[in-house]
Amino acid sequence: MRQLSIMVDLDRCIGCKTCVVACRNHHNLVDHENAMPGNLSYYLRVESELTGTYPNLAEDTWVVMCQHCKKPPCVKACESGAISKDLQTGIVLIDQEKCVGAKKCIEKCPYKVIQFDIEKNCAHKCDLCYDRVVHGHDPVCVEVCMADALSFGEREILLMQAEAAGKKVIKKKSTQSVLYVKNPKS
Amino acid sequence: MHEDKWIPTICYQCKAECAILARVENGVVKEVKGNPLAKGKMCVKGMAGITTLYSGERLKYPLKRIGERGEGKFERISWDEAMDIMEKKLRELRDRGEMHKFTYSMFPHSSTDPKWRFVNAMGGFITTGLPHCDSAKIMAHLHTFGCFPNHHIAPIYYSVPKGGIMILAGRHPFGCLDDASVARDILNAKERGAKLIVIDPIFRSEAAKADWWIPIKPGGDAAFFLGMCNYLLTNDLYDKNFCDKWVREGDMDKLMEFIKDKTPEAMSPICEVPAQDIIKLAKMCAQAPSVCVDAFKSIMYGNAMDWGHAWSIFLVITGNLDNPGGQPLPEIAPMAPVEPVPPAPSLHELGYHRTGPNRDKFDYYTFILEPTWYAAQAVKEGTLKVFFASECNPALSEMGSSVWREAMTLKDKQGNYLLELFVVTEILPSETMKWADLVLPDQTNFERWELLYMPWWYTYAHTAAICQPVVEPIGESRHANKVMIELGKRLVPEYFAFKDDLEYYDTELAGVGMSLQKMLDNGCVWSPRTAGFYKYESAGKFNTPSGKVELEWRMYKDLGQEWPSPELPVEFKRGEQEYPFILVNFRSTFLNNTGAWSHNNAQLRDPISGRDRNPLVLNPLDAKKLDLVDGDLVTVTSKTAQVRIPVCLSEKIKPGCAGLIHGFGQTMGKIASLGNWIGDNELIADAGSHLDEQDLRGGEAHVATRVKVSK
Repeated sequence: MRQLSIMVDLDRCIGCKTCVVACRNHHNLVDHENAMPGNLSYYLRVESELTGTYPNLAEDTWVVMCQHCKKPPCVKACESGAISKDLQTGIVLIDQEKCVGAKKCIEKCPYKVIQFDIEKNCAHKCDLCYDRVVHGHDPVCVEVCMADALSFGEREILLMQAEAAGKKVIKKKSTQSVLYVKNPKS
Repeated sequence: MHEDKWIPTICYQCKAECAILARVENGVVKEVKGNPLAKGKMCVKGMAGITTLYSGERLKYPLKRIGERGEGKFERISWDEAMDIMEKKLRELRDRGEMHKFTYSMFPHSSTDPKWRFVNAMGGFITTGLPHCDSAKIMAHLHTFGCFPNHHIAPIYYSVPKGGIMILAGRHPFGCLDDASVARDILNAKERGAKLIVIDPIFRSEAAKADWWIPIKPGGDAAFFLGMCNYLLTNDLYDKNFCDKWVREGDMDKLMEFIKDKTPEAMSPICEVPAQDIIKLAKMCAQAPSVCVDAFKSIMYGNAMDWGHAWSIFLVITGNLDNPGGQPLPEIAPMAPVEPVPPAPSLHELGYHRTGPNRDKFDYYTFILEPTWYAAQAVKEGTLKVFFASECNPALSEMGSSVWREAMTLKDKQGNYLLELFVVTEILPSETMKWADLVLPDQTNFERWELLYMPWWYTYAHTAAICQPVVEPIGESRHANKVMIELGKRLVPEYFAFKDDLEYYDTELAGVGMSLQKMLDNGCVWSPRTAGFYKYESAGKFNTPSGKVELEWRMYKDLGQEWPSPELPVEFKRGEQEYPFILVNFRSTFLNNTGAWSHNNAQLRDPISGRDRNPLVLNPLDAKKLDLVDGDLVTVTSKTAQVRIPVCLSEKIKPGCAGLIHGFGQTMGKIASLGNWIGDNELIADAGSHLDEQDLRGGEAHVATRVKVSK
């Protein structure tokens, strides 16, 4: 236990990007008045994989956010000690007071999910909506998911839920804390 | 935590009008989400609505044109001056006895929309982009089993039972003009054992989730379904009990006679679906406890009425009317009239489709609204003199939009514009605004009151909703409804004796036992939460002239349209050599083309959260023949236009098809104008220019276009 997590159900994710925009709104990542495409921070992104050739096609879509790594490379890379993995929740947090803007974490992140705020000179990223989850709410992306493809909870419990629903963990995608699951028959 | 004040209201990033909650902090909207009192979901467009609200490019003041139409040059004027300009011109038109030459193009939010009331009170016409999208479906269902003539009755996906079949034929409900809860409801139905079948020339997110994707030749849906009907009827797999009881006497015998040569084998070459697949799906449908069908892009081609008719026959013979998981037949819960109610114009007397060599034939096609595409022709013919537009974008979203734009600039010998006044209400810079004489700054859904009453709309999350303002309006923006009420008070006070918009909505809501206050107390929504089932059983009849299901369309006998033709639209059968590709235009969840404001939304054009490009999508097999590689710039030529755009090679499109998103191409606004993209309508011919080829096969749908692609 001690690892809060998000489980992404590939049978349900439709790649609609609703979560990306809701996350931006919640975390004030967008200056609505002056925002320009291609220049907006984001904590989630949609990825997809198409297999087969016409007309025998299959396509999976899923979201990638901070994977809240078991041994986070960003924590190790940060010389100012601004990044930590919270003991009780397993959430990887960036302390913006301590961050000196060295960007080492961004270089080392294998998932390329850490953003940089030029004005504040600090790194920032998905904190699993720490401000919400410690008050008992789901992360915003989970709450707003249009297809109910995301679930939130203790990683171990999510694994049990997946098993009960007949879903298999996609191991190559689920190497850290975030889980990616799919029905093996689909 | 910031979640202290979530206010219920309604989204209006598209016509689905989902019930939402908005979190307001110090007078600023910070977050939005679906309202759990309704269906609880909101899509990416809705989420990005805040970016529209606070865009630095919001139109804040009334603007008056200072250059020529199309130059997009304006000066700021006062609201008083704007109102005076409109009042003066409309009085002049009325004095000339030409009020029927006044038209308002809009997406009415109800049959009792104040804008619509204003048009009727003045004696003008309403036109709308609304009916022609899938009007053939409406007409086909109306003719066959007498549904309410509504724009779009989606299947009630949350009523689809285990084993039920959901067929999406050219419809993309995972984010295009459907309630945001539809994706969840379809996936939930799948989880409980329903099957999702996608019939579509393009593999999109719905196909990715489908149990079976059936690529079809565009326009082949009528043939496909007639082939299935043939198999079901000739193998005794149809719902005989239902047909014996409810189909008009004699119609089944005539159907049997008509259908006998529409074998799967005969239909297969037309739709390019193997006969065994037609048979397989027919068998699946015969065995399923329910089948529902939804279509959208497929019902916009030149054989749309045939497809709608075949679809209707299929629903009837499989007994899938007003049943759980089948085709809903909702009833109207009428709003109370605000007396005195202005009379609607006589379409027959003044001319319904007032253009085209076969205009008389369209008298058969008596839908309640004028299609927008008639505007360009009407300007040329002198039957359109004053044109207002709200929440529509004819400069981009109409077929042959270049013809429409040209019509706006036509002048008489004295150098005066043939169209004497063009007024647009708009939230953000739009393409249509470039041609306007007056641009009135409109309000977003976060700033305005509005009664949204579409008893037929999409799902049954709510059938009436109140959009309430959650923040102060930006600049001097005023909602179009309020502007038209004020103009009504000036010009036709007898019909605008009520105090204001709120009193108007309050009166109307009494019709369903509600009031404005009750609506607000109820989370801004009202709904019986069901469309009901098997109502024809208790009523003892269908809502048709005979009270029975009418498979044969006898009213079209002299036009030879009593039964649906399986043939492709004429536009697809002609010019195959010169224009080998069929243009497949499709919607993106990130763009509501008719709602011009979505073009200038940074989050919807951001590559991470939206869509920033609209290349021509080709299958690699076709690209190889043309010696094209991904990203090549190509010339795309149709009979009426030529454009240059990059290609995107994808296995997701049927060979022989060229895909392009419905939207893009706007030149107004710093975000919309990024990149040299074009919209599909640049290549599509103006429908009003070839009405003689359309007749009743196409209804009001006219997007069937062939193109050629060259380096």
